[in-house]
Amino acid sequence: MKLQWRLATLKNGLQDATAYRLEFLIQILSSALVPAAIQSVLWYAMFVLGGKTDVAGMTYAQMLHYTLTSILFTQIRGGDNDFELAEMIREGQLSNYLLRPVGVVEFVYLRGVAPKLLIAFFCLLAGMGAGWAIGITPERLVGAMFLALIGNIIHYQISASLAAAAFVWEEAYGILMVKNMIVSLLSGELLPLNLFPPSMQWIWKSAPFYLYVFGPTQYALGRWSHQEFLMQLGVSGLWLIVGWALIRMSWGLGIRRYLSLGG
Amino acid sequence: MSEPVITVRDVRRSFRSVKKEEGLKGALGLILKPQYENHEALKGISFTIESGSFVGLIGANGAGKTTLLKILSGLIPPSSGEARVLGYEPFKRAITFRQSISLVMGQKAQLWWDLPAAEAFDLIRAIYEIPMPVYRERLNTLAELLDIQKHLHTQIRRLSLGERMKMELIGAILHWPKVIFLDEPTIGLDVLAAHKLREFLRVFNQKEKATIILTSHNMDDIERLCSRVMIMRSGEMIYDGNPDGLTRKGERRLRLRLMQNPEAGELAQTIGMPVSAIDIGNGNDEAATEAAEEARTFHIHLKTEQIVPVLQSVMGKYTIIDMGIEEQSLEFVIQRLFEGTKLG
Repeated sequence: MKLQWRLATLKNGLQDATAYRLEFLIQILSSALVPAAIQSVLWYAMFVLGGKTDVAGMTYAQMLHYTLTSILFTQIRGGDNDFELAEMIREGQLSNYLLRPVGVVEFVYLRGVAPKLLIAFFCLLAGMGAGWAIGITPERLVGAMFLALIGNIIHYQISASLAAAAFVWEEAYGILMVKNMIVSLLSGELLPLNLFPPSMQWIWKSAPFYLYVFGPTQYALGRWSHQEFLMQLGVSGLWLIVGWALIRMSWGLGIRRYLSLGG
Repeated sequence: MSEPVITVRDVRRSFRSVKKEEGLKGALGLILKPQYENHEALKGISFTIESGSFVGLIGANGAGKTTLLKILSGLIPPSSGEARVLGYEPFKRAITFRQSISLVMGQKAQLWWDLPAAEAFDLIRAIYEIPMPVYRERLNTLAELLDIQKHLHTQIRRLSLGERMKMELIGAILHWPKVIFLDEPTIGLDVLAAHKLREFLRVFNQKEKATIILTSHNMDDIERLCSRVMIMRSGEMIYDGNPDGLTRKGERRLRLRLMQNPEAGELAQTIGMPVSAIDIGNGNDEAATEAAEEARTFHIHLKTEQIVPVLQSVMGKYTIIDMGIEEQSLEFVIQRLFEGTKLG
């Protein structure tokens, strides 16, 4: 495992993402505040205007705690590297990376995850600073962030596998957009997943997306025991293996169909 | 003669694409019953290239040059046949193979738009594990040769096309590749920038003994740099040899200005040659320029042994104001080859 190029790639990705600092900050704030604002309005409508005392076993305060805490992990969830990969395949820009003596899928991931790591660091600090008010302990926050980062890798693995569809289908964008919508719903960034009816809980439980936001939030808020957390880490390990196999298969097949257009 | 670093045997490559007809009917047809067409980009190409060669690969658009470079650099596999570069099968893309080659595409940016070139070069240094002192020395040498030192810390997006192309070239050869594929590196460059780039490539090839394959539509690039030229037409290799061999096949260009200013057809009839053998202007342009029309300078393409009889016919009917015999330009010969005219 060669560390030098990986560290240099992370540094390069961070430099690239922060080349325009204001744009970088605006993106972070808007992606954090918009879902939080929507959720807050929804909870207000349900609990204050609707007069409910609890929904799916959660009180108004618990819902707000969920919303605020989930912001920390929503920021870590995978970015748009899959769209970038699909575009590179379609337009032929992938050639630039294929020529270099590094794994192209890993290279693109490292460049994309670099700003997420910086954000994770600041989210961790913010969570530790403000978390005491709602009873979040530092060790739980670190564990939750660790799970969120594993979720980031799983997300990229699935995304990169789907992006490989662009090797054979120029309109692979459609798949990626559908995937993003499903992820928004099943990761827990829009709603706590325990709002799902009991008969439909299997849906989110059978996909890895809950490990991105819902899982880390549950652990940070103390709603998962340490034992449950360790079990979920094991589950995420299995998803990592599945994701790795998916990438190997899809890219191994796809690369033979690559046309390197545009030259 | 040194060992070949590139061996290509009967390489073929075809592409399948969807045929789309115009309009709504075409769009619906594409969904319901797509029609495909096969295009054969390479039709059984074979050649070898020795270490340290500087080879020009030329051909009209769609001749198959870039497809060949993509196969040799391992981006795409051949449909059939065998290609070997430095002993590797390129499409297997072994790490050691990728460490030893480079491909520069004039139309494709490899560096990151929002970062200064120095940042990208630093990443390239890490990827190729170039020791820091060696990296610094190479970067200084390359930046000096290309006269680009002062722009190393400027965002790529803020550079001119020529400066950007120079940066791309540095990024592509910082790891000192043994084989370099250059696909139209001087495209869009002004005369000075193209000259700098050419001079740099010449020095690099001579000093480092790197094998370079260059595709270009600029005949200046080919004439000044390449000791060997390969010409492709419609996926086939139609010439492989010394560039001088193209222009020394006994063809000459007779330049004439006549007092009577006859029409080209009339002149052709007088000298007993087809009108296509006569150009008005500089001999390379398809249409005569206004200035050349006024001057009525004819360029007659003929063989050496035809010069005297042609001059006799001309002098029998017209008065010559000015005349000269010139060597056939490489550009003209290649233009004829692209058009399918056999060399005399």
